[in-house]
Amino acid sequence: MKKEELFAKLRANTHDQFDMPDMHVQALKYADTLQQFIAMTKSSGGKAIRLKRDADLNVAVAEAYPDAKVIASNLPGIKADRNPDLVEDARDLNGTDVGVIRGEIGVAENACIWIPQTMKEKAVCFISENLVILLDEADVVDNMHEAYARIKMTDYGFGTFISGPSKTADIEQALVMGAQAARSVTVFLLS
Amino acid sequence: MSTLHAKRAREFLKDPAKITHHDQTFWGMRMSRDKMVTQIPEWEELRDKASEIKRHTITHLADYLEEFSDHLEKNGVHVLWARDAKEFNQMVLKILTDHHVKKMVKSKSMMTEECGMNDFLKARGIDVVETDLGERILQLMHLKPAHIVVPAIHITRQQVAHTFEEKGMSQEEGNDDPTYLTRCARNSLRSEFLEAGAGMTGCNFGVAKTGDVVVCTNEGNADMATSMPKLHIVAMGLEKVIPDYASLAFFQRLLCRSATGQPTTTYTSHFRKPRPGGEMYVILIDNGRSDFIANPDHWETLKCIRCGACMNTCPVYRRSTGYSYSFFIPGPIGIDLGMLKDPKANSGNVSACSLCLSCDEVCPVHVNPGSQIYLWRQQLDHFGTANSEKKLMSWGMARVYNNYFMYDTALKMAPLLNHVPEAIIGNPKWSPWCVGHKMPVFVRKPFHVIEKDLEKEYGKESTTKL
Repeated sequence: MKKEELFAKLRANTHDQFDMPDMHVQALKYADTLQQFIAMTKSSGGKAIRLKRDADLNVAVAEAYPDAKVIASNLPGIKADRNPDLVEDARDLNGTDVGVIRGEIGVAENACIWIPQTMKEKAVCFISENLVILLDEADVVDNMHEAYARIKMTDYGFGTFISGPSKTADIEQALVMGAQAARSVTVFLLS
Repeated sequence: MSTLHAKRAREFLKDPAKITHHDQTFWGMRMSRDKMVTQIPEWEELRDKASEIKRHTITHLADYLEEFSDHLEKNGVHVLWARDAKEFNQMVLKILTDHHVKKMVKSKSMMTEECGMNDFLKARGIDVVETDLGERILQLMHLKPAHIVVPAIHITRQQVAHTFEEKGMSQEEGNDDPTYLTRCARNSLRSEFLEAGAGMTGCNFGVAKTGDVVVCTNEGNADMATSMPKLHIVAMGLEKVIPDYASLAFFQRLLCRSATGQPTTTYTSHFRKPRPGGEMYVILIDNGRSDFIANPDHWETLKCIRCGACMNTCPVYRRSTGYSYSFFIPGPIGIDLGMLKDPKANSGNVSACSLCLSCDEVCPVHVNPGSQIYLWRQQLDHFGTANSEKKLMSWGMARVYNNYFMYDTALKMAPLLNHVPEAIIGNPKWSPWCVGHKMPVFVRKPFHVIEKDLEKEYGKESTTKL
């Protein structure tokens, strides 16, 4: 089908046209945004750990996941066995125990963390059995309106909000963590 | 006078324990949704504005589609326009053949259900693997979705265990623990993700201003399906486009809270470009939508964001299951969409509604599915699908209710019926109304006569005050 043909038909078939509403909304704000974010992270099945900015992150990762053998990350300062920038193929990241990635915005109302793609293979965000997300405490906002006003896409042209581990309730509504992607998510909140 | 829906529902109702469980499961989802709503003081404002944004977008659809597709193309994404299901299926086949793809992993998409894509590709030697757990279970059992968000919730854990054992995915006989079964599926699907040559997703929202394709999942399967294969195909209905991120914030906040009663889906992923070294195709599908938009009473059905809240709350859906409906999308919104698509084939569904309008109350974008069903019912005679017995009854009732003498006489005579044995007058064969109802006892003095007597005694004005 030609798109011009479709557009002409759509225009001909549209009767009354409506304007956009006033987009301002008095959206929910929290007395303690950070505490709300931490509480929502827990209820989404994730964990939140507060750390000083100069804390040793490698020690923190080892403490959070003592049994982890294979770590994948492209973040400077993170000791990793695999680098999502350097692997030849996304499949090479299969079998990663912990992926360490950086989030840019946290959202208190639903524990979403905006993760723009900053690595060649975004698979590291999903294929890793466990995920550690680094997030600055100062980057936690109250709600999605504020988050969408701020997000910036990288050149890779992919970004995702992640809230807790991958989950499903498709079998008799029993909630199970770790459907197809990360089985656990730990957020390191840096101050 | 039974419709197909009523006949099928009757079969499901033969197992009261199962149907009660079904009812409670979905009512539980409705209650979870309500809990979410109480936590957002601006909830009603979100619904109102989301509805207005959709009204605006749908009535400027060509402009927004143009903006959306321009951005996609600028970002190196191939954009294709499919007139109908047939054209869509052919396009997918061509892309896959050109790229020598034999296996495609896909995340949940009602659009591909609408087009019957899986069967079409399978018949042409392409293996399509559903990766949403619920969809995968149904695919392995050769069943269709019974709900648009939780498609396999009616399947028991024992049935899942049995299916997984049969397919060699579960090695532990009789283990029906949901966590164990989910792990089995995870392991099996992991190899599918690694082997597949293409990944397909649907699209919850297309952002015109940026060209983002936004996909929401809890399992992360859409992300897995697009992180390994180099080829990403998006199947998207025309009506999914919205103006910008500011609009998206409203829909993101409403969608999952309305759907499953969670504050968000785990993943809200934005695809704007092909992945490094890969290719991305977006197929925009009309399949009747450009005609629906012209329907003065029903064009707002196109505002639907497919959350399924209308199904969860619907007393008829909860007690009859998704398989009772003749259209592939069940429940209140499915009744409306089915009527837009093919009124002759789907007219039976409009009876599957008590007009309680609970769906209108929960719809996050004011589609008002129940009010629309009411309007569709007025059209049945026009489509030639009105029930002849009901037509006769309506004609008769109109005669009686419009003529005081006939009405008064009929009610005076009615008590005589009290003497006719229930076996005769209550026989559903003669009186279909008596299915599930008992004949009422007709009173000697009907209400309008009592009212007239009181008026005589106390005067008209004081009677009204009573």
